[in-house]
Amino acid sequence: MAPTDTYFRHSLKVNDYLCSGCTTCMRICPTAAIRIRGGKAVISDNKCVDCGECLKSCPRKAIYIKQDDFNLIENYGCRVALVPAVFIGQFEEKYKTKDIYACLKKLGFTHIYEVEHSVEFLVDLYKEYMANHPEIRTFISPYCPAVIRLVQVRYPSLVDNIIRLKSPLDVAARAILKKLLDQGIRREAIGIFYVTPCAAKIASVKYPVSNQDTHIAGVINMDFLYNKVKLMLSNSDKDAEAINHTLTPADVLWPLSRGEAANFPGSPYAVDGLQNVIQFLDRLEDDKVDAPGLVELRVCEEGCVGGVLTTQNCFVARKRMENRAKLLARLHHDQQELTYDHTEFSEQIAEQMVIPEIKPRSLYQLDENFGTAFKMAEQMKKIEKELPGINCSACGAPSCAALAEDIVRGDADVNSCIFINRHSEASEAAIRRVWGDCVKSETK
Amino acid sequence: MHYTFTIEQGNFTDAGQASSSVKRTLKQLGVDPANIKRTVVALFEAEINAVAHAYGGTIDVDIDDGKIVMVVADQGPGIPNIDLAMQEGWSTASAKVREMGYGAGMGLPNIKKNTDDLKIDTKIGVGTTLTMTVNLV
Repeated sequence: MAPTDTYFRHSLKVNDYLCSGCTTCMRICPTAAIRIRGGKAVISDNKCVDCGECLKSCPRKAIYIKQDDFNLIENYGCRVALVPAVFIGQFEEKYKTKDIYACLKKLGFTHIYEVEHSVEFLVDLYKEYMANHPEIRTFISPYCPAVIRLVQVRYPSLVDNIIRLKSPLDVAARAILKKLLDQGIRREAIGIFYVTPCAAKIASVKYPVSNQDTHIAGVINMDFLYNKVKLMLSNSDKDAEAINHTLTPADVLWPLSRGEAANFPGSPYAVDGLQNVIQFLDRLEDDKVDAPGLVELRVCEEGCVGGVLTTQNCFVARKRMENRAKLLARLHHDQQELTYDHTEFSEQIAEQMVIPEIKPRSLYQLDENFGTAFKMAEQMKKIEKELPGINCSACGAPSCAALAEDIVRGDADVNSCIFINRHSEASEAAIRRVWGDCVKSETK
Repeated sequence: MHYTFTIEQGNFTDAGQASSSVKRTLKQLGVDPANIKRTVVALFEAEINAVAHAYGGTIDVDIDDGKIVMVVADQGPGIPNIDLAMQEGWSTASAKVREMGYGAGMGLPNIKKNTDDLKIDTKIGVGTTLTMTVNLV
């Protein structure tokens, strides 16, 4: 029996009206999670890791990220925007951070909280975790949620190498919540909203790996908010501040690739870009690379500035953020009184940051029973030999190997290969199941 | 289930294809990750041995009855002294091979450590055949 439980949920959706079933996304998906059914792309929940490659590749913009209705913020008296440093990096340097925050306030937020403010606190937690696990040689950073899911489905043997701690976002959400509760504001009146640069972070908020409440009321796509703010910036005359103190230069650099690694000793590996991460994990799994200490892995190029919901070229945004970090360093140097307040991060929050368990979810395993899996693997090998091996995708699977697997799993029919029995009625029916009415009947 | 691969002399860049392919199959079978790792490490070491020391060869893999048997046969110089070759740190690898990061003298000892059974058949001037068995369940 193949596992039928859905243990992952996603925010990546296919717009059936726009999708033409062109197979572009299906061929690019790193976990072979997409099939064409009824002429449309269908994403498998248990295989998808939220990397967003499908969305990036879609020529018809038929793949989108479901976000919360912006008007949802009106349900709360206290409306907090959790803003990641990448958002500021979307705007030209001529706009000051304070101008951008002023726009967010005009849009309806009552408080702005900078997410990466918690980085220093979290780095200490990571270091403590690593010291407490001397039996582990390589520690995979849990920062990129797509990496966690990728490891779960493709590299189950490395699951124990992931640091079981939550991200700066989780720390930030709890810290701001506590601060507001301490001010006597009722819980029901507080709505915390996160501005996300990618699909994986939405999924990590909506469907966290630990199944614990994230305290976040909603998620707003960064590109959506960028458009709103950009429109207002040109005639903005006010400025506003975030309620937490200014970020440190290290905080601002954290979301960029190498920004996390810089906080740890021994010049750790910092790998960015999906294919690079896959290659690296392949080697790590086989002991072909020795990576003592932390490894920073980011599915997007250049880190979070490469997220699918960002609006700027990742290198441009990176430069802006580096400039901002330099500016902050200078400010800090010039004004001795500028101190960073980390008092809101308590012991209590530290305890809540532990992820109790990360389960391996192998997408390769054919069956839980070795004997059954063995028979299926044998059959798969046999079927694969029969298939043409040209990976044309006309069957609705990304490759001949994937079709062979679908067949033994009972999810596809061998007749859906257009090279097998290609003039039989069974073949035509199978092709029609995949491609719908775009297949013309053969007239002889 | 049977798999065959060929090994090309001196081609370190392509070495590892056999172990990658075997790894995928073992993942499909739901084999315990620790056993997958043992198998992959042993097979990769044997593959690299044949690439570095011999003039090419073949790999035959059989998975059956809960065990995997991997036969790596090369046409090479043979191993003059197996006891020495089994010692950690002993290596006859050339300077060129060492420059590429191999030849630390850990190959055979590492294979021995990671397999449940290891047979070495070697004939000077003819070649070496390693038969490695790992119990999967």
